[in-house]
Amino acid sequence: MTAPFPRAGAAPAGRAAELALVERCRQGDAGAFEEVYRTHAGRLYSVACRMVGNPADAEDLLQEIFLSAHRKLDSFRGESALGTWLYRLAMNLCLDYLRSKASRTSHLTDALDDEPGLADASSRGLANRALTRIDMERAVAQLPEGCRAAFLLHDVEGLEHREVAEALGIAEGTSKSQVHKARLRLRALLTE
Amino acid sequence: MACARHVNAIQELVDGTLGSIRRAELELHLEQCEPCRRLADDLARIRDSAASLEPLTPPDRVWLQIAGRLRQEGRIAAPTPLAAARRTFMPLALAASLLLIVGASLYVLYPRGTAPDEAASAGNAPAADAVQGVETEFRLAEQHLQNAINKLQEAAKADDAAIDTQIASTLQKNLEVIDQAIAESRSALRQEPQSVPARDSLFDALKRKVSLLQDTIALMNQMRKGDAAGAAQIVDSANKS
Repeated sequence: MTAPFPRAGAAPAGRAAELALVERCRQGDAGAFEEVYRTHAGRLYSVACRMVGNPADAEDLLQEIFLSAHRKLDSFRGESALGTWLYRLAMNLCLDYLRSKASRTSHLTDALDDEPGLADASSRGLANRALTRIDMERAVAQLPEGCRAAFLLHDVEGLEHREVAEALGIAEGTSKSQVHKARLRLRALLTE
Repeated sequence: MACARHVNAIQELVDGTLGSIRRAELELHLEQCEPCRRLADDLARIRDSAASLEPLTPPDRVWLQIAGRLRQEGRIAAPTPLAAARRTFMPLALAASLLLIVGASLYVLYPRGTAPDEAASAGNAPAADAVQGVETEFRLAEQHLQNAINKLQEAAKADDAAIDTQIASTLQKNLEVIDQAIAESRSALRQEPQSVPARDSLFDALKRKVSLLQDTIALMNQMRKGDAAGAAQIVDSANKS
Protein backbone atom coordinates (compact mmCIF):
# COMPACT_ATOMS: atom_id res chain seq x y z
CA MET A 1 0.00 0.00 0.00
CA THR A 2 1.26 3.46 -0.83
CA ALA A 3 2.07 6.05 1.79
CA PRO A 4 -0.82 8.32 2.76
CA PHE A 5 -1.04 11.43 0.64
CA PRO A 6 -1.15 14.88 2.15
CA ARG A 7 -4.52 16.56 2.21
CA ALA A 8 -5.30 19.03 -0.55
CA GLY A 9 -5.76 21.96 1.77
CA ALA A 10 -2.54 23.39 3.18
CA ALA A 11 -2.25 25.25 6.47
CA PRO A 12 -1.20 28.92 6.15
CA ALA A 13 2.34 28.03 7.31
CA GLY A 14 2.51 25.47 4.52
CA ARG A 15 1.26 27.99 1.97
CA ALA A 16 4.48 29.98 2.09
CA ALA A 17 6.47 26.82 1.45
CA GLU A 18 4.12 25.96 -1.42
CA LEU A 19 4.55 29.40 -2.95
CA ALA A 20 8.33 29.08 -2.67
CA LEU A 21 8.16 25.67 -4.33
CA VAL A 22 5.96 27.02 -7.12
CA GLU A 23 8.39 29.91 -7.63
CA ARG A 24 11.22 27.41 -8.09
CA CYS A 25 9.06 25.55 -10.63
CA ARG A 26 8.47 28.83 -12.49
CA GLN A 27 12.25 29.31 -12.68
CA GLY A 28 12.50 25.98 -14.50
CA ASP A 29 13.73 23.91 -11.55
CA ALA A 30 12.98 20.31 -12.59
CA GLY A 31 13.59 19.02 -9.06
CA ALA A 32 10.97 21.37 -7.62
CA PHE A 33 8.38 20.32 -10.17
CA GLU A 34 9.19 16.66 -9.55
CA GLU A 35 8.51 17.33 -5.85
CA VAL A 36 5.10 18.75 -6.77
CA TYR A 37 4.47 15.70 -8.93
CA ARG A 38 5.53 13.20 -6.25
CA THR A 39 3.33 14.91 -3.67
CA HIS A 40 0.13 15.12 -5.69
CA ALA A 41 0.31 12.60 -8.56
CA GLY A 42 -1.11 9.69 -6.56
CA ARG A 43 -4.31 11.46 -5.55
CA LEU A 44 -4.80 13.03 -8.97
CA TYR A 45 -4.22 9.71 -10.70
CA SER A 46 -6.70 7.97 -8.37
CA VAL A 47 -9.37 10.55 -9.15
CA ALA A 48 -8.62 10.53 -12.89
CA CYS A 49 -8.71 6.74 -12.98
CA ARG A 50 -12.06 6.60 -11.23
CA MET A 51 -13.46 9.42 -13.33
CA VAL A 52 -12.53 8.02 -16.74
CA GLY A 53 -12.71 4.35 -15.83
CA ASN A 54 -9.44 3.04 -17.23
CA PRO A 55 -5.76 3.37 -16.26
CA ALA A 56 -4.41 4.06 -19.76
CA ASP A 57 -6.60 7.14 -20.25
CA ALA A 58 -5.88 8.19 -16.65
CA GLU A 59 -2.12 8.08 -17.40
CA ASP A 60 -2.62 10.34 -20.42
CA LEU A 61 -4.74 12.67 -18.33
CA LEU A 62 -2.18 12.74 -15.53
CA GLN A 63 0.41 13.85 -18.06
CA GLU A 64 -1.91 16.54 -19.35
CA ILE A 65 -2.72 17.69 -15.82
CA PHE A 66 0.92 18.28 -14.95
CA LEU A 67 1.87 19.74 -18.33
CA SER A 68 -1.07 22.09 -18.06
CA ALA A 69 -0.17 22.90 -14.45
CA HIS A 70 3.36 23.87 -15.45
CA ARG A 71 2.09 26.09 -18.25
CA LYS A 72 -0.35 27.77 -15.88
CA LEU A 73 1.97 28.23 -12.92
CA ASP A 74 1.86 32.00 -13.40
CA SER A 75 -1.86 31.94 -12.61
CA PHE A 76 -1.29 30.24 -9.24
CA ARG A 77 -1.45 33.00 -6.64
CA GLY A 78 -1.64 30.85 -3.53
CA GLU A 79 -5.24 31.85 -2.75
CA SER A 80 -6.12 28.20 -2.55
CA ALA A 81 -3.88 25.29 -1.63
CA LEU A 82 -1.75 23.94 -4.46
CA GLY A 83 -3.54 20.59 -4.08
CA THR A 84 -6.95 22.19 -4.56
CA TRP A 85 -5.68 24.18 -7.55
CA LEU A 86 -4.35 20.96 -9.08
CA TYR A 87 -7.64 19.17 -8.39
CA ARG A 88 -9.45 21.91 -10.26
CA LEU A 89 -7.18 21.50 -13.29
CA ALA A 90 -7.56 17.73 -13.05
CA MET A 91 -11.34 17.76 -12.80
CA ASN A 92 -11.67 20.20 -15.70
CA LEU A 93 -9.52 17.98 -17.87
CA CYS A 94 -11.36 14.82 -16.78
CA LEU A 95 -14.78 16.38 -17.43
CA ASP A 96 -13.62 17.75 -20.81
CA TYR A 97 -12.35 14.30 -21.69
CA LEU A 98 -15.63 12.64 -20.68
CA ARG A 99 -17.73 15.21 -22.53
CA SER A 100 -15.66 14.86 -25.65
CA LYS A 101 -15.97 11.07 -25.38
CA ALA A 102 -19.71 11.36 -24.79
CA SER A 103 -20.14 13.65 -27.78
CA ARG A 104 -18.27 11.10 -29.88
CA THR A 105 -20.46 8.24 -28.72
CA SER A 106 -23.66 10.25 -28.14
CA HIS A 107 -24.04 8.95 -24.62
CA LEU A 108 -24.90 11.94 -22.49
CA THR A 109 -25.49 10.60 -19.04
CA ASP A 110 -25.50 13.53 -16.68
CA ALA A 111 -29.21 13.55 -15.85
CA LEU A 112 -29.87 13.49 -12.14
CA ASP A 113 -33.51 14.37 -11.90
CA ASP A 114 -34.70 11.42 -9.91
CA GLU A 115 -34.01 10.67 -6.28
CA PRO A 116 -32.75 7.12 -6.41
CA GLY A 117 -32.55 5.16 -3.21
CA LEU A 118 -35.72 6.41 -1.59
CA ALA A 119 -38.25 4.17 -3.32
CA ASP A 120 -36.96 1.01 -1.72
CA ALA A 121 -39.67 0.14 0.79
CA SER A 122 -39.59 -3.49 -0.24
CA SER A 123 -35.80 -3.64 -0.23
CA ARG A 124 -33.74 -4.51 2.80
CA GLY A 125 -31.12 -2.00 1.63
CA LEU A 126 -27.51 -2.92 2.24
CA ALA A 127 -28.18 -4.74 5.49
CA ASN A 128 -26.61 -8.21 5.61
CA ARG A 129 -24.86 -7.56 2.33
CA ALA A 130 -21.08 -7.64 1.99
CA LEU A 131 -19.83 -4.48 0.35
CA THR A 132 -16.54 -5.20 -1.41
CA ARG A 133 -14.09 -2.75 -2.92
CA ILE A 134 -14.93 -4.10 -6.37
CA ASP A 135 -18.66 -3.54 -5.77
CA MET A 136 -17.91 0.04 -4.81
CA GLU A 137 -15.57 0.71 -7.75
CA ARG A 138 -18.14 -0.68 -10.19
CA ALA A 139 -20.99 1.30 -8.71
CA VAL A 140 -18.97 4.54 -8.60
CA ALA A 141 -18.13 4.06 -12.29
CA GLN A 142 -21.86 4.08 -13.07
CA LEU A 143 -22.53 7.41 -11.42
CA PRO A 144 -23.27 10.40 -13.65
CA GLU A 145 -20.05 12.35 -14.09
CA GLY A 146 -21.09 15.49 -12.19
CA CYS A 147 -21.98 13.76 -8.96
CA ARG A 148 -19.20 11.21 -9.42
CA ALA A 149 -16.65 14.03 -9.37
CA ALA A 150 -18.08 15.53 -6.18
CA PHE A 151 -18.41 12.12 -4.53
CA LEU A 152 -14.83 11.10 -5.36
CA LEU A 153 -13.42 14.35 -3.99
CA HIS A 154 -15.54 14.36 -0.83
CA ASP A 155 -16.14 10.78 0.23
CA VAL A 156 -13.10 9.08 -1.32
CA GLU A 157 -10.41 11.79 -1.18
CA GLY A 158 -11.71 13.37 2.00
CA LEU A 159 -11.99 17.00 0.85
CA GLU A 160 -14.38 19.36 2.66
CA HIS A 161 -17.40 20.58 0.69
CA ARG A 162 -15.75 24.02 0.52
CA GLU A 163 -12.69 22.46 -1.15
CA VAL A 164 -14.83 20.32 -3.45
CA ALA A 165 -16.73 23.45 -4.49
CA GLU A 166 -13.44 25.24 -5.20
CA ALA A 167 -12.03 22.30 -7.15
CA LEU A 168 -15.16 21.90 -9.27
CA GLY A 169 -15.98 25.57 -9.62
CA ILE A 170 -19.42 25.13 -8.07
CA ALA A 171 -21.23 26.46 -5.01
CA GLU A 172 -20.73 24.69 -1.70
CA GLY A 173 -24.43 23.83 -1.58
CA THR A 174 -24.18 22.25 -5.00
CA SER A 175 -21.28 20.14 -3.80
CA LYS A 176 -23.41 18.88 -0.90
CA SER A 177 -26.39 18.08 -3.09
CA GLN A 178 -24.18 16.29 -5.66
CA VAL A 179 -22.51 14.16 -3.00
CA HIS A 180 -25.87 13.35 -1.41
CA LYS A 181 -27.37 12.39 -4.74
CA ALA A 182 -24.34 10.24 -5.49
CA ARG A 183 -24.77 8.34 -2.22
CA LEU A 184 -28.46 7.72 -2.90
CA ARG A 185 -27.68 6.60 -6.43
CA LEU A 186 -24.95 4.28 -5.12
CA ARG A 187 -27.35 2.81 -2.62
CA ALA A 188 -29.78 2.04 -5.42
CA LEU A 189 -27.01 0.54 -7.57
CA LEU A 190 -25.62 -1.56 -4.74
CA THR A 191 -28.99 -2.98 -3.72
CA GLU A 192 -30.05 -3.89 -7.27
CA MET B 1 -39.62 4.17 2.02
CA ALA B 2 -37.59 6.73 3.94
CA CYS B 3 -39.34 9.96 4.85
CA ALA B 4 -38.49 12.57 2.19
CA ARG B 5 -38.44 15.39 4.74
CA HIS B 6 -35.72 13.67 6.78
CA VAL B 7 -33.39 12.71 3.92
CA ASN B 8 -31.31 15.91 4.01
CA ALA B 9 -30.88 15.65 7.76
CA ILE B 10 -29.82 12.01 7.40
CA GLN B 11 -27.21 13.04 4.81
CA GLU B 12 -25.90 15.75 7.11
CA LEU B 13 -25.79 13.24 9.95
CA VAL B 14 -23.63 11.02 7.75
CA ASP B 15 -21.47 14.05 6.83
CA GLY B 16 -21.09 14.85 10.53
CA THR B 17 -22.35 18.39 9.98
CA LEU B 18 -25.78 18.12 11.65
CA GLY B 19 -26.26 20.52 14.59
CA SER B 20 -26.91 19.07 18.02
CA ILE B 21 -30.60 20.03 18.26
CA ARG B 22 -31.50 18.71 14.81
CA ARG B 23 -29.40 15.66 15.53
CA ALA B 24 -31.35 14.90 18.70
CA GLU B 25 -34.63 15.30 16.80
CA LEU B 26 -33.44 13.06 14.00
CA GLU B 27 -32.20 10.38 16.39
CA LEU B 28 -35.60 10.35 18.02
CA HIS B 29 -37.18 9.87 14.61
CA LEU B 30 -34.71 7.14 13.65
CA GLU B 31 -35.66 5.15 16.73
CA GLN B 32 -39.22 5.00 15.46
CA CYS B 33 -38.77 4.83 11.68
CA GLU B 34 -37.12 1.71 10.31
CA PRO B 35 -36.81 2.86 6.63
CA CYS B 36 -35.06 6.07 7.72
CA ARG B 37 -32.83 4.13 10.10
CA ARG B 38 -31.94 1.74 7.27
CA LEU B 39 -31.20 4.65 4.97
CA ALA B 40 -28.90 6.25 7.56
CA ASP B 41 -27.07 2.95 8.08
CA ASP B 42 -26.67 2.36 4.34
CA LEU B 43 -25.37 5.86 3.62
CA ALA B 44 -22.87 5.58 6.47
CA ARG B 45 -21.67 2.26 5.06
CA ILE B 46 -21.27 3.79 1.62
CA ARG B 47 -19.34 6.73 3.10
CA ASP B 48 -17.04 4.38 5.06
CA SER B 49 -16.54 2.07 2.12
CA ALA B 50 -15.66 5.01 -0.16
CA ALA B 51 -13.17 6.37 2.37
CA SER B 52 -11.44 2.99 2.50
CA LEU B 53 -10.84 2.79 -1.26
CA GLU B 54 -7.09 2.67 -1.68
CA PRO B 55 -5.19 5.34 -3.59
CA LEU B 56 -3.96 4.16 -6.98
CA THR B 57 -0.34 4.58 -7.98
CA PRO B 58 0.64 5.93 -11.39
CA PRO B 59 3.43 4.10 -13.22
CA ASP B 60 6.90 5.70 -12.93
CA ARG B 61 7.05 6.29 -16.67
CA VAL B 62 4.45 9.06 -16.40
CA TRP B 63 6.89 11.41 -14.66
CA LEU B 64 9.63 10.62 -17.18
CA GLN B 65 7.22 11.45 -20.03
CA ILE B 66 6.17 14.70 -18.35
CA ALA B 67 9.78 15.72 -17.69
CA GLY B 68 10.69 14.86 -21.29
CA ARG B 69 7.87 17.00 -22.69
CA LEU B 70 8.75 19.93 -20.41
CA ARG B 71 12.40 19.71 -21.46
CA GLN B 72 11.38 19.64 -25.14
CA GLU B 73 9.30 22.74 -24.57
CA GLY B 74 12.22 24.38 -22.77
CA ARG B 75 10.14 24.82 -19.62
CA ILE B 76 12.56 23.04 -17.33
CA ALA B 77 16.31 23.05 -17.52
CA ALA B 78 17.58 20.64 -20.13
CA PRO B 79 20.74 18.73 -19.37
CA THR B 80 23.87 20.22 -21.00
CA PRO B 81 24.81 18.59 -24.34
CA LEU B 82 27.81 16.96 -22.66
CA ALA B 83 25.71 15.57 -19.83
CA ALA B 84 23.07 14.42 -22.30
CA ALA B 85 25.67 12.65 -24.39
CA ARG B 86 27.14 11.04 -21.29
CA ARG B 87 23.64 10.06 -20.13
CA THR B 88 22.98 8.37 -23.47
CA PHE B 89 26.27 6.78 -24.27
CA MET B 90 28.29 6.39 -21.13
CA PRO B 91 26.55 3.34 -19.63
CA LEU B 92 26.77 1.54 -22.97
CA ALA B 93 30.37 2.57 -23.47
CA LEU B 94 31.22 1.51 -19.94
CA ALA B 95 29.43 -1.78 -20.44
CA ALA B 96 31.45 -2.41 -23.57
CA SER B 97 34.76 -1.41 -21.99
CA LEU B 98 34.01 -3.46 -18.89
CA LEU B 99 33.31 -6.52 -21.00
CA LEU B 100 36.67 -6.02 -22.70
CA ILE B 101 38.44 -5.50 -19.40
CA VAL B 102 36.78 -8.49 -17.78
CA GLY B 103 37.36 -10.68 -20.80
CA ALA B 104 41.00 -9.65 -20.96
CA SER B 105 41.45 -10.11 -17.21
CA LEU B 106 40.04 -13.61 -17.26
CA TYR B 107 42.06 -14.45 -20.36
CA VAL B 108 45.23 -13.18 -18.75
CA LEU B 109 44.59 -14.60 -15.30
CA TYR B 110 43.13 -17.97 -16.03
CA PRO B 111 45.87 -19.50 -18.21
CA ARG B 112 48.61 -18.03 -16.01
CA GLY B 113 46.69 -19.10 -12.95
CA THR B 114 47.44 -22.63 -13.99
CA ALA B 115 51.07 -21.78 -14.59
CA PRO B 116 52.34 -22.53 -11.08
CA ASP B 117 51.11 -26.12 -11.37
CA GLU B 118 52.66 -26.52 -14.79
CA ALA B 119 55.84 -24.74 -13.76
CA ALA B 120 56.23 -26.85 -10.67
CA SER B 121 55.67 -30.08 -12.50
CA ALA B 122 57.97 -29.10 -15.38
CA GLY B 123 60.55 -27.56 -13.10
CA ASN B 124 61.31 -24.89 -15.76
CA ALA B 125 60.51 -21.68 -13.87
CA PRO B 126 60.26 -20.82 -10.22
CA ALA B 127 56.66 -20.83 -8.95
CA ALA B 128 57.23 -17.45 -7.31
CA ASP B 129 57.90 -15.85 -10.72
CA ALA B 130 54.66 -17.25 -12.09
CA VAL B 131 52.74 -15.99 -9.08
CA GLN B 132 54.42 -12.61 -9.48
CA GLY B 133 53.25 -12.55 -13.10
CA VAL B 134 49.72 -13.37 -12.05
CA GLU B 135 49.89 -10.69 -9.37
CA THR B 136 51.08 -8.06 -11.82
CA GLU B 137 48.39 -8.89 -14.32
CA PHE B 138 45.84 -9.05 -11.58
CA ARG B 139 46.84 -5.60 -10.29
CA LEU B 140 46.57 -4.19 -13.79
CA ALA B 141 43.16 -5.77 -14.26
CA GLU B 142 42.13 -4.50 -10.85
CA GLN B 143 43.29 -1.01 -11.76
CA HIS B 144 41.23 -1.14 -14.95
CA LEU B 145 38.22 -2.35 -13.00
CA GLN B 146 38.67 0.40 -10.42
CA ASN B 147 38.90 3.00 -13.19
CA ALA B 148 35.69 1.63 -14.66
CA ILE B 149 34.03 1.81 -11.24
CA ASN B 150 35.19 5.41 -10.86
CA LYS B 151 33.73 6.27 -14.26
CA LEU B 152 30.46 4.52 -13.37
CA GLN B 153 30.21 6.52 -10.15
CA GLU B 154 31.02 9.70 -12.06
CA ALA B 155 28.29 8.86 -14.59
CA ALA B 156 25.86 8.17 -11.74
CA LYS B 157 26.56 11.62 -10.29
CA ALA B 158 26.08 13.28 -13.69
CA ASP B 159 22.79 11.47 -14.29
CA ASP B 160 19.98 12.71 -12.06
CA ALA B 161 17.89 9.62 -12.85
CA ALA B 162 20.64 7.19 -11.90
CA ILE B 163 21.65 5.42 -8.72
CA ASP B 164 20.74 7.19 -5.52
CA THR B 165 23.11 7.57 -2.58
CA GLN B 166 21.62 4.75 -0.52
CA ILE B 167 21.84 2.22 -3.34
CA ALA B 168 25.35 3.42 -4.23
CA SER B 169 26.30 2.88 -0.60
CA THR B 170 24.91 -0.69 -0.69
CA LEU B 171 26.84 -1.43 -3.86
CA GLN B 172 29.98 0.06 -2.31
CA LYS B 173 29.61 -2.16 0.77
CA ASN B 174 29.22 -5.25 -1.41
CA LEU B 175 32.24 -4.17 -3.36
CA GLU B 176 34.27 -3.84 -0.17
CA VAL B 177 33.30 -7.36 0.92
CA ILE B 178 34.39 -8.72 -2.45
CA ASP B 179 37.61 -6.70 -2.35
CA GLN B 180 38.32 -8.19 1.06
CA ALA B 181 37.82 -11.70 -0.37
CA ILE B 182 40.14 -10.85 -3.27
CA ALA B 183 42.81 -9.55 -0.88
CA GLU B 184 42.60 -12.69 1.26
CA SER B 185 42.79 -14.93 -1.80
CA ARG B 186 45.78 -13.04 -3.11
CA SER B 187 47.50 -13.34 0.24
CA ALA B 188 46.79 -17.08 0.40
CA LEU B 189 48.04 -17.54 -3.14
CA ARG B 190 51.23 -15.67 -2.32
CA GLN B 191 51.92 -18.01 0.59
CA GLU B 192 50.94 -21.13 -1.32
CA PRO B 193 51.35 -20.47 -5.03
CA GLN B 194 50.19 -23.97 -5.93
CA SER B 195 47.09 -23.95 -3.79
CA VAL B 196 44.09 -24.82 -5.94
CA PRO B 197 41.54 -23.61 -3.33
CA ALA B 198 43.32 -20.21 -3.11
CA ARG B 199 43.35 -19.88 -6.88
CA ASP B 200 39.68 -20.90 -7.16
CA SER B 201 38.82 -18.47 -4.41
CA LEU B 202 40.59 -15.65 -6.27
CA PHE B 203 38.70 -16.37 -9.47
CA ASP B 204 35.44 -16.75 -7.60
CA ALA B 205 35.91 -13.34 -5.94
CA LEU B 206 36.89 -11.81 -9.25
CA LYS B 207 33.77 -13.22 -10.92
CA ARG B 208 31.65 -11.80 -8.11
CA LYS B 209 33.20 -8.40 -8.68
CA VAL B 210 32.45 -8.68 -12.39
CA SER B 211 28.87 -9.64 -11.58
CA LEU B 212 28.49 -6.67 -9.24
CA LEU B 213 29.80 -4.30 -11.90
CA GLN B 214 27.37 -5.75 -14.42
CA ASP B 215 24.57 -5.26 -11.89
CA THR B 216 25.66 -1.67 -11.45
CA ILE B 217 25.46 -1.02 -15.17
CA ALA B 218 22.11 -2.80 -15.46
CA LEU B 219 20.83 -0.78 -12.50
CA MET B 220 21.84 2.48 -14.14
CA ASN B 221 20.06 1.46 -17.32
CA GLN B 222 16.89 0.50 -15.40
CA MET B 223 16.94 3.78 -13.49
CA ARG B 224 17.38 5.72 -16.71
CA LYS B 225 14.41 3.87 -18.21
CA GLY B 226 12.38 4.61 -15.09
CA ASP B 227 11.88 0.91 -14.41
CA ALA B 228 11.74 1.02 -10.60
CA ALA B 229 10.68 -2.64 -10.34
CA GLY B 230 13.61 -3.79 -12.46
CA ALA B 231 15.98 -1.61 -10.46
CA ALA B 232 14.62 -2.95 -7.15
CA GLN B 233 15.14 -6.51 -8.38
CA ILE B 234 18.77 -5.76 -9.24
CA VAL B 235 19.40 -4.10 -5.86
CA ASP B 236 17.77 -7.06 -4.11
CA SER B 237 19.97 -9.44 -6.04
CA ALA B 238 23.07 -7.32 -5.28
CA ASN B 239 22.18 -7.37 -1.60
CA LYS B 240 21.93 -11.14 -1.63
CA SER B 241 25.23 -11.63 -3.49
